[in-house]
Amino acid sequence: MAGTAAPAAQGTVMTLRACLLRIACCCVPPLLGGCVNATVDHMVFNSPVDGIGDASVIILGRRHASDYETEPDFIRCVGNHIAARDKSIRIVDEFEFINAMYPWFEPRTAPLQPADLERLLEHAPVAEKLAAMDPEYLIWIDGSTVRTDSAGSMTCGIGPGGAGCFGFGTWSNDATYEAAIWNFGQRAEVGRINATAIGQSYMPAVVLPIPIIAPVQGTACDSIGDQLLEFLSQHY
Amino acid sequence: MISDPERWLGVALLALVLAGCGAKQVVVKGQFPAPVMNELPLTLGVWYDEEFAQHEFFDEAAGRAESSWLVKSGQAQVELWDTLLNGMFRKVVHMDARPAPGQMNPVVDAVLVPSVEELQYAIPAHTSVKVYEIWMRYRLQLLTLNGEPIAEWTMPAYGKTPTAFMQSDEGAVNLAAVVALRDAGAHFASSFTRVPEVEQWLAQLPRRRRAQ
Repeated sequence: MAGTAAPAAQGTVMTLRACLLRIACCCVPPLLGGCVNATVDHMVFNSPVDGIGDASVIILGRRHASDYETEPDFIRCVGNHIAARDKSIRIVDEFEFINAMYPWFEPRTAPLQPADLERLLEHAPVAEKLAAMDPEYLIWIDGSTVRTDSAGSMTCGIGPGGAGCFGFGTWSNDATYEAAIWNFGQRAEVGRINATAIGQSYMPAVVLPIPIIAPVQGTACDSIGDQLLEFLSQHY
Repeated sequence: MISDPERWLGVALLALVLAGCGAKQVVVKGQFPAPVMNELPLTLGVWYDEEFAQHEFFDEAAGRAESSWLVKSGQAQVELWDTLLNGMFRKVVHMDARPAPGQMNPVVDAVLVPSVEELQYAIPAHTSVKVYEIWMRYRLQLLTLNGEPIAEWTMPAYGKTPTAFMQSDEGAVNLAAVVALRDAGAHFASSFTRVPEVEQWLAQLPRRRRAQ
């Protein structure tokens, strides 16, 4: 008898655990949002100066890889992050700069090394335009955010009584970015920052789908932005 | 009896179904900034033939699930090359006809005749990659006023845009085409004087004429 009762009791315990796990899965993510793990590495070759004064900062995305592009939204996010925390820093809009310097910052022609800036400055109109902008740093950001896997299923239906969905979906995003910081005056790379963020998003659906998005790209943006502020701002 | 709202709903559904069957059409429009570079001290003639000025490409749908595509890029091509050449050369003259012996053409140092030799594109429906791509190959001819060849070379151009930035296939194809045209401009601006025949021709031009 005991031999048969024990598995039944164990089964009951397991069912309770499973229920608790399910409740946790359904309830905790909405409270916390999707989980994101972020890592930041940086290398400093030349110590940051104490703020950049009246000079400006140019932040550009690398777009010469064949299989991905650094998202313009991400570049804008990093620029906004920096400008919001130190209003004295002047960030040049990426596409205004690329248009103003056409064709020297297109994917085909953009300088890959700081020494290539010398080649650009041989063109007098380029040198004049850059002098007017007075940039202290040129920051190249390379990388992207990709969806790595997804699981779950959801069914939606429509009937005379109304419409609704039922199910559960989950997916992961992986953001990897690297910022190379060039000092215009020194024509040298002065630092490099790596940021990675991995996050799990959820989409439970009971009648209505409720997306619980892990802010993976936003976390990577904040991580890189905070590190860049150390180079650009005298308050960090 | 069919009431008015039902009739309109039916018409709207029919229109949607028919719209799904038609070709997707894109008239390429974009921003082509003037190049920032030292002007070459030359008067360049340029001749866009009919095919180039009205350039378009059509891709017929392979199956029911796909759409045909008609992309009209001629106007954007002319806009790009006009802006580019006017920024690169001291003076640009549009020719009335292709250079040939006996043509009544204004005096220029040389005439550039661009043409699109090949164009390919890919959209996510064609590939598993969520990227819109356009690949072009230009044939460029630099001719004397009499139509004799100075140089002839090909030049690739490439443009792509991820789906994430765009709301429609048409918008994404337009943006990829604009990126490809900008790439063509960048390639031409950075390589024109390095084409061996052009380099040789520039070296042979009378110094007095180039200095004018």
